[in-house]
Amino acid sequence: MFLTNWFQHTAGWPYPVAWTVAQLILIVVYQGVVMVSVAFWILADRKIWAAVQMRRGPNVVGAFGLLQTFADAMKFMFKEPVIPAAANKVIFLLAPIISATLAFSAWAVVPLDNGWVIADINVGVLYLFAISSLGVYGVIMGGWASNSKYGFLSALRSAAQMVSYEVSIGFVIVTVLIFAGSLNLSDIVRAQGPDIRGWYLFSPLAPMLVVMFISSLAETQRPPFDLLEAESELVAGYMVEYSSTPFLLYFLGEYMNIILLCALMSIMFLGGWLPPVAVFPFTAVPGVLWLLLKIMVLFFMVSMVKAFVPRYRYDQLMRLGWKVLLPVSMAWVVVAAGWVVFVRPALAHVFGG
Amino acid sequence: MAYLDKKARQIFLWEFVQAFLLAMRYFFAPKVTLNYPFEKAPQSPRFRGEHALRRYANGEERCIACKLCEAICPAQCIVIEAEPRDDGSRRTTRYDIDMTKCIYCGYCQEACPVDAIVEGPNLEFSTETREELFYDKTKLLANGDRWEQAIAKNIELDAPYR
Amino acid sequence: MPRKLIIDGKEIEAEDNLTLLQACEQAGAEIPRFCYHERLSVAGNCRMCLVEWVGAPKLQASCSLQVKDIFPNKDGTPAKINTNSPAVKKGREGVMEFLLINHPLDCPICDQGGECDLQDQAMGYGRAAFHRFAENKRAVADVDMGPLIKTVMTRCIKCTRCVRFATEVAGVPELGATGRGEDVEITTYLEQAFGSELSGNIVDLCPVGALTSKPYAFHGRPWELKHTESIDICDAQGCNTRIDTRGRSVMRILPRLNEGINEEWLHDKGRHIGDGLGRQRLDKPYVRKNGKLVPSSWADAFAAIAARVKATEPDRMAAIVGDLAAAEEIKALKDLMIRLGVVHLDCRQDGAKISGPRPAYLFNTTITGVDAADALLLIGCNPRWEAPVLNARLRKAWLNGGLKVANLGVPVDLTYPVEQLGTSVEVLNALADGSHPFAEVLRNAKRPMLILGNGALARRDGAVVLERAARIARETGMIGPAGTPADGGWIGFNILHTAASRVAALDLGFVPGQNPDGTGGRDVAGIIDGAQKGEIDFIYLLGADELPLENIGRPFMVYQGSHGDVGANYADVILPGAAFTEKDGLFVNFEGRVQEAERAVFPPGEAKEDWAILRALSDVLGEALPYDTLADLRAALVAELPHYGRIGEVPLWQGADPAVWNSLGADGVFETDVPIGQAISDYYLTNPIARASRVMAECSRVLLCGGDQKVAAE
Repeated sequence: MFLTNWFQHTAGWPYPVAWTVAQLILIVVYQGVVMVSVAFWILADRKIWAAVQMRRGPNVVGAFGLLQTFADAMKFMFKEPVIPAAANKVIFLLAPIISATLAFSAWAVVPLDNGWVIADINVGVLYLFAISSLGVYGVIMGGWASNSKYGFLSALRSAAQMVSYEVSIGFVIVTVLIFAGSLNLSDIVRAQGPDIRGWYLFSPLAPMLVVMFISSLAETQRPPFDLLEAESELVAGYMVEYSSTPFLLYFLGEYMNIILLCALMSIMFLGGWLPPVAVFPFTAVPGVLWLLLKIMVLFFMVSMVKAFVPRYRYDQLMRLGWKVLLPVSMAWVVVAAGWVVFVRPALAHVFGG
Repeated sequence: MAYLDKKARQIFLWEFVQAFLLAMRYFFAPKVTLNYPFEKAPQSPRFRGEHALRRYANGEERCIACKLCEAICPAQCIVIEAEPRDDGSRRTTRYDIDMTKCIYCGYCQEACPVDAIVEGPNLEFSTETREELFYDKTKLLANGDRWEQAIAKNIELDAPYR
Repeated sequence: MPRKLIIDGKEIEAEDNLTLLQACEQAGAEIPRFCYHERLSVAGNCRMCLVEWVGAPKLQASCSLQVKDIFPNKDGTPAKINTNSPAVKKGREGVMEFLLINHPLDCPICDQGGECDLQDQAMGYGRAAFHRFAENKRAVADVDMGPLIKTVMTRCIKCTRCVRFATEVAGVPELGATGRGEDVEITTYLEQAFGSELSGNIVDLCPVGALTSKPYAFHGRPWELKHTESIDICDAQGCNTRIDTRGRSVMRILPRLNEGINEEWLHDKGRHIGDGLGRQRLDKPYVRKNGKLVPSSWADAFAAIAARVKATEPDRMAAIVGDLAAAEEIKALKDLMIRLGVVHLDCRQDGAKISGPRPAYLFNTTITGVDAADALLLIGCNPRWEAPVLNARLRKAWLNGGLKVANLGVPVDLTYPVEQLGTSVEVLNALADGSHPFAEVLRNAKRPMLILGNGALARRDGAVVLERAARIARETGMIGPAGTPADGGWIGFNILHTAASRVAALDLGFVPGQNPDGTGGRDVAGIIDGAQKGEIDFIYLLGADELPLENIGRPFMVYQGSHGDVGANYADVILPGAAFTEKDGLFVNFEGRVQEAERAVFPPGEAKEDWAILRALSDVLGEALPYDTLADLRAALVAELPHYGRIGEVPLWQGADPAVWNSLGADGVFETDVPIGQAISDYYLTNPIARASRVMAECSRVLLCGGDQKVAAE
């Protein structure tokens, strides 16, 4: 808004041009920040995992190994991309691009602070849901185009897994929507105001955070649900034939999805950019830092889960998804609706709103 | 009751919480790994690293081409050819160790009657090409010259136990 | 008379002329020894063979105690001998301790290490945890024993095996022990090289590392050698050898036990020829272009030969077999030449006038038969050079049975007393008609024999010599019934060949006279003469290097062989063949005994086995030989000569038919003005392999040409 105003009034451009240029600059900066931050998320992931295993993790490239991910990225980029002779070249190369692009575009509706969002659309949640559902295409295309039985099997597993858990995530989101009464992510955050008391974590929706967390792990193929790359069975997953930059794109997309889901959980249950206590020193802290802090806590848990939970068997994965999480979340939709329709007005009546 | 207890634990992810607490204990436990190139573990005098051919203090090479190391080598990675030197003494004309075959068992230094072939303290001798790991006599003697002090110290330290 | 003994609780009957050590071995007991050796006299000075004679006050040295001296117990029960009692162990440990007082601890630099009797027995009887002697070890100056034997006399344990070998077997009493007690030293009395063709054997005999092989010094260890059984090809005796190889090189050659041929000895040439196998080798085919030999391919070499053969009449072609060829390639070459219609074939490079049926060119007495002979006439041969191991056998016959020897030819020291009859061929006439005094000796002898050498047969009047020798044999009773001396048979007529291939080539008929009536074809002299006159245009040399080719003219010559020697120099096409260590081959010794030499290493470069070369060449020439494998070739060989299937046996004596001996040679007149010569002028350089060997060159220089001649500057 600020940029658009600046271009429109100071530079004197007509509104459509000013808006377009401002949005483009915003997108580039926003995605650049996200992308660079992924490097540090990856490093954090490795460090946390190493710490639990009493190792040091990467610590040579840059101070505390901060530049390790950049070194790895450089290495990937300068390697020779190997395309299997029998692969479908177009789809083979298209698949990681789709994966990465979808991961990037999902961030468009995530509000970092009050008003800090590229596209403050009313159907933000639906948009997110649609984009993350599309992610399965990148996976299955890559697995199929590799023309490798391992890659293909892995892609099938992965697709089934993602589809299964998306259902649960969908119902979890529905419960949040019922509580917030809006599909706009910023509105969802605002509905949790003004302080920690309003966060949905401390509402009857709390169990849904757990369901959402577990489903997110499955959705992003993190351990303990990383069956697609169960090494002893499938070598390395659907990206087994990938190398160099295409692999890097997959890798990047995967981590961006993880962080996206962490951000989503923060927004939906932990009050997004809102400070825990709405008094002076806390309110002075920029909201984006509160959001970052919340994402970090959730990401820490994601990493820790990788460190201490053993991998599920595939049938266990399916059982958990369809027979536990799905009924629970469906039931909670009813609970949430009941709460909103019957309990909340009663409570408002008792406590005076 | 036990059933309820079990179900309650399941519902509240009790095992998950326990595992998390355990992991956190390890998270803050002291690290067991070394920051390798900058800090190194203490090394036993009996450490069996890169091979070296030693010399006597007067510069004469110790190896007398008895070929016992070649004979005992279980990996058969040592090749020796010998000939009388101009002064009539028994010397090698070729002393090759294929470091890609070597299993670092240390039998060669055990077999050596004159402490000529030793496995020194050096463990950092990776190379960029395979060929560089085919050590010849020159390379082994150079190793001996380079590591002599450390090797002599190790032999001295180990002597009481032999 | 056999005597009963109880050895380690086992009762045996032992002949009373055995030593107790031999009796113990019969009983299956292993007795350690250093000085005792079956083929040498008993010395009894190492004391390692101590055994316990129950009742005797002290341990007994079993090697010097004869069975007949061991009396039974008073109650008539057999004497009890213990070879492994605690007392024996303690006694031997004491002996070992004494031996090790002055023996240096230099096993790591000692060539004997790994095959050392002292080392082995110190494992059994050494007392490693028990050092009583802090004094310095004795140091002894080394002795120069020539280019073949390296001495480290500090290691010597004074077993005197070498002294006894030199004195008794080699007959060169140049070694001896001086001093007393601790100061005993083995030396050559005159500080000169050990001048015997059998000197290498003292290296084998030495139980420690005091005497080791100089050419082999520090080159190898016994445990890294691969052993292959082979046959010596340096003379026609066919000594059994073991080729020790490491990788692709022959490291050393050792004798192999064969009582019928070489006992356990080997002569120096056969032993040390190994380094010649790696030098001067022909490792790729060559074709002469514009007067120069240029490296070529097998196909081109064959094509060059084929072009020439097609353009040449069979009558203008010839083939000569050299001295080192195995029976297989001789057979292959002969078959090929017969198919091409070539009649000028010969194997007698030296021009020896040998011919006739098989017994007429064999050493009929056989080598073991020599032991029974009591009179010997040598005609134009020097067994000490032409067959040194046989000469040791002759010496043994002289030592044991008083063999009387006369030598008609160049006077040489044969290590036993010889009556020199001069060098004139005329003496043969006198011997034949009985007027010579030695004819009387031969007639009176129970088992007289004569050995006819190439020094006499290679003369122009060789045929006459052969006739006279046969007549002497007939007149002096050398032709007895067929069979071995043990069966009562005796044939004393012997030819001593110098070439390992000769008997096989003669057996296969690689001589002129291929026409059915036994005529036709030129011999070696005829072929060379024909080439000079332009009547012979194509000569195939199968390893023939002893020919006078200086004025050969310009025939097209093919040389197939292993070394770049005389033949290769004159060749137009060179086909690289395999040396005797590089092929499986049959060699027939002068007794007619067929023996197999196994392949120890592969031929160098592109060289191939000789029979295979001939087989391949026959294809190119359009006259394919009917065998594709060595087995096929051997089968064809055995089909032609059935006794070639009986490897290692001397075929039955065929001397019964007197007609054989009546028709030998040709009557005629001697060229009286030419003295009987020598077949070999330099013992160490008789074949291409030896001529390529540095060791042999050094031996020839030091031992035959008077050693290091000081040059003026010194």
